[in-house]
Amino acid sequence: MNCELITKERAGVINPIFTCQPAGAQFASIGIKECIGIVHGGQGCVMFVRLLISQHLKESFEIASSSVHEDGAVFGALNRVEEAVDVLLMRYPDVKVIPIITTCSTEVIGDDIDGVVIKLQEELLNTKYAGREVHLIPIHCPSFVGSMIHGYDTAVRDFVKYFAEKGETNGKINLLTGWVNPGDVTALKHLLAEMQVDATVLFEIESFDSPLMPDGNHTSHGNTTIADLKDTANAIGTLALNKYEGAKAAQYLEKEFDIPTIIGPTPIGIRNTDTFLKNLKRMTGKPIPESLVRERGIALDAITDLAHMFLADKKVAIYGNPDLVIGLAEFCLDLEMKPKLLLLGDDNLSYAEDPRIKALQENVDYDMEIVMNADLWDLEGRIKDGLELDLILGHSKGRFVAIDYNIPMVRVGFPTYDRAGLYRHPVVGYAGAIWLAEEMANTLFADMEYKRNKEWVLNVW
Amino acid sequence: MPYHEFDCSKCIPERKKHAVDKGPEDDLTKALPLGYLNTIPGSISERGCAYCGAKHVIGTPMKDVIHISHGPVGCTYDTWQTKRYISDNDNFQLKATFATDVKEKHIVFGAEKLLKQNIIEAFRAYPDIKRMTIYQTCATALIGDDIDAIAQEVMDEMPDVDIFVCNSPGFAGPSQSGGHHKINIAWINNKVGTVEPKITSDYVINYVGEYNIQGDQEVMQDYFRRMGIQILSTFTGNGSYDELRSMHGAHLNVLECARSAEYICNELRVRYGIPRLDIDGFGFEPLSSSLLKIGRFFGIEDRAQKIIDEETARWKPELDWYKERLMGKRVCIWPGGSKLWHWANVIHEEMGVKVVSVYTKFGHQGDMEKGIARCEQGALAIDDPNELESLEAMYKLKPDVIFTGKRPGEVAKKIRVPYLNAHAYHNGPYKGYEGWVRFARDIYNAIYSPIHQLSYLDISRDDIPGDGGFRTQRMISDVNLSQEVRTSKNLREYTGKYDTISPLREKTYPEFNK
Repeated sequence: MNCELITKERAGVINPIFTCQPAGAQFASIGIKECIGIVHGGQGCVMFVRLLISQHLKESFEIASSSVHEDGAVFGALNRVEEAVDVLLMRYPDVKVIPIITTCSTEVIGDDIDGVVIKLQEELLNTKYAGREVHLIPIHCPSFVGSMIHGYDTAVRDFVKYFAEKGETNGKINLLTGWVNPGDVTALKHLLAEMQVDATVLFEIESFDSPLMPDGNHTSHGNTTIADLKDTANAIGTLALNKYEGAKAAQYLEKEFDIPTIIGPTPIGIRNTDTFLKNLKRMTGKPIPESLVRERGIALDAITDLAHMFLADKKVAIYGNPDLVIGLAEFCLDLEMKPKLLLLGDDNLSYAEDPRIKALQENVDYDMEIVMNADLWDLEGRIKDGLELDLILGHSKGRFVAIDYNIPMVRVGFPTYDRAGLYRHPVVGYAGAIWLAEEMANTLFADMEYKRNKEWVLNVW
Repeated sequence: MPYHEFDCSKCIPERKKHAVDKGPEDDLTKALPLGYLNTIPGSISERGCAYCGAKHVIGTPMKDVIHISHGPVGCTYDTWQTKRYISDNDNFQLKATFATDVKEKHIVFGAEKLLKQNIIEAFRAYPDIKRMTIYQTCATALIGDDIDAIAQEVMDEMPDVDIFVCNSPGFAGPSQSGGHHKINIAWINNKVGTVEPKITSDYVINYVGEYNIQGDQEVMQDYFRRMGIQILSTFTGNGSYDELRSMHGAHLNVLECARSAEYICNELRVRYGIPRLDIDGFGFEPLSSSLLKIGRFFGIEDRAQKIIDEETARWKPELDWYKERLMGKRVCIWPGGSKLWHWANVIHEEMGVKVVSVYTKFGHQGDMEKGIARCEQGALAIDDPNELESLEAMYKLKPDVIFTGKRPGEVAKKIRVPYLNAHAYHNGPYKGYEGWVRFARDIYNAIYSPIHQLSYLDISRDDIPGDGGFRTQRMISDVNLSQEVRTSKNLREYTGKYDTISPLREKTYPEFNK
């Protein structure tokens, strides 16, 4: 067997690929309209996560902190949650949804946020805010378990679990996008529209590519509504595109409301997009229209210009969110490239059981390593030890590996703050396949010119 | 009463004493907002935590050190690559960050063994680096790991390494400021005096409270070297761990950011008798008087004066070009802790702008005292601002530009107020004579952006001018300037290069007789 699945041997992390759970829950929370989360912990857990997401999206949005200080850490800090809820509700009259997201500190001291939510419901909400629709949702995110991926998955599940409410069948499908960009949501909605499929998109973050308008609009926010979330129980089916980001919610809906569910594949590349359309067709009975045949043809046409001439045999390392990494690796193989190293940045034991990873292990005919619980030292160390790469695919936190070792890199995933506007471009769907293939090719072209490495080839392309 | 009550904060009366309007008759005894108090939960304050104050602000700019955080991975990841404190050793401190990756089992059974493994692994990964700082986080503070004991154990086993421990968990104080204090005190208690200084000059300083944002430290270092002054250590931008252990050998502590680093200066005075001199690298006049003060201290005023004359002659015409065009523009100085008083007044004097508001996220009353004293009448001063108050202030004050952080800058952008990054700078460095011109240039480019002007046009309602395919900044900025100013031979736009720091690293300096 050439494809090895291993776990990082070192105990610690040098240059992490992921941040911790609360960041994932916060990213999920901003997808909901009229929602401001309260992160129960130190202020840095919010301030830096807001900065991180804001660097990526080049937008601002609101998330509050319970601002736990020393006294709270010693004596318990539930009073800080109570005060935070009240202050938030007083000053943000439109807010209806308040997830209360724990962190390592408040999990260690054992603050009972489920209990305080009941108390707030009975006392504060029934008196001072009687008549106002307010939903307090405890979300447990001990930072020492899992990663931001886990936090996102948990938060999506908890939101759905809280709101989903059986009613009349709505004829729609639930589309759980996973941790994606506004551009991905646009691309997915486009595919749904072409298929004439009515869907509830969770979460509707397309609006985070927000305009600068003449009337001023000071923050951006997601557009998934309470009604959308309630109605998830009444769909004809759920498609969760990512196994590790959103599947928990899909499984909950399946178990609780018998909603047929398909999890994955992440529609990255032509083949996975085809499967996505097939799944849509299977779930709704709607045919795949001619327009998408044509769109797919455009993608194939564009990619054929690149694949066997420029991309074939190029050796790639890929790191980031697990579904993204696997999807990119699959697409790279279709493009005749050679993913040599895949880095999955947390200790999720179920990666070993992922059928896509198993398929790689069974079929890859050259040396490939898949490292679990990986960090970016797993990339840098291997390069130092002689791993030859033509391209790196990953997020901005790994930029110095590319810079220091002179390896061209395509920024993809989250966060991508060191390149302009990437949140606008999809990696999913046929549009995403075109963008990825062309971005990889153009990055290689620029590198050929910069290094004077057969740059004259492009004279007659 | 000069207290400023925000409409959005009427429902939280404790906010009332956190903002003042500087009125004509008010003195500071009446017009001083409260400061450095506990944050109001849920107010969407912009404050960070004490861990970040210790690790991210002060610890990490040290350049030849493995910076490791003992806790879950998030604290490390989130504070990594979010600042621009560069160094002359290829930015090691920006590139590499370390987390012990505490997991649930460690929370239950303790993470000391994990920490030790981490320390050894990290030194193995970077065999050339022999120095380490370990930062406690909320999680490991609460489980009570004895980090100092583990560090000592490793130092006993590996005699060629040295480790500094900073116990400043995120919850330790109302803001980052708590962490500044903790790391200052921990450093003087544990590290100062453990390496003997290498003295090469008669004039030896520690440069304290300077973090080399976009090269600020290297700009100032250039002036000091031209004066024949030895910089024994810089606390901490571009600073070296072992040099900082020898801080006790300096003749003078030259203090830049008094918010974050006055503690160590005060302790150095008490314990080693080294005097503290507060200086200011921003703005021609404050910088010149700072250099003169240092010169006077050592009796080498002439050397300072030479630099002042050269630099002023070189850069003043460029500063004045911008001053003519920035006259009367309304600015908000909304930084973290100290830049409100570093910039207020001098920016008015030397760039002609009007400071309509100052705020501080983690400053104390002393910072406000200085800030308010230096800004113009009518200015609004806010302590620990929050999202809604900042918005209300911008709508009311209608600033032409604000200086703040990246994310609040995005809020401002949407209501068509351009922003400059007060923490990391747009096109810095901003210290030094040339740096101050670069700041003026950034302000000018922000305010007179032709695209910015277009954002006011509502194409569905307004008359679309349709009078040409472009505007230059000059077409906007020079409309009301006199012919004399517009064509002045004594004024010129900025002529420096994009990178002003790399050439400094190649520079050689004159030998002064000892």
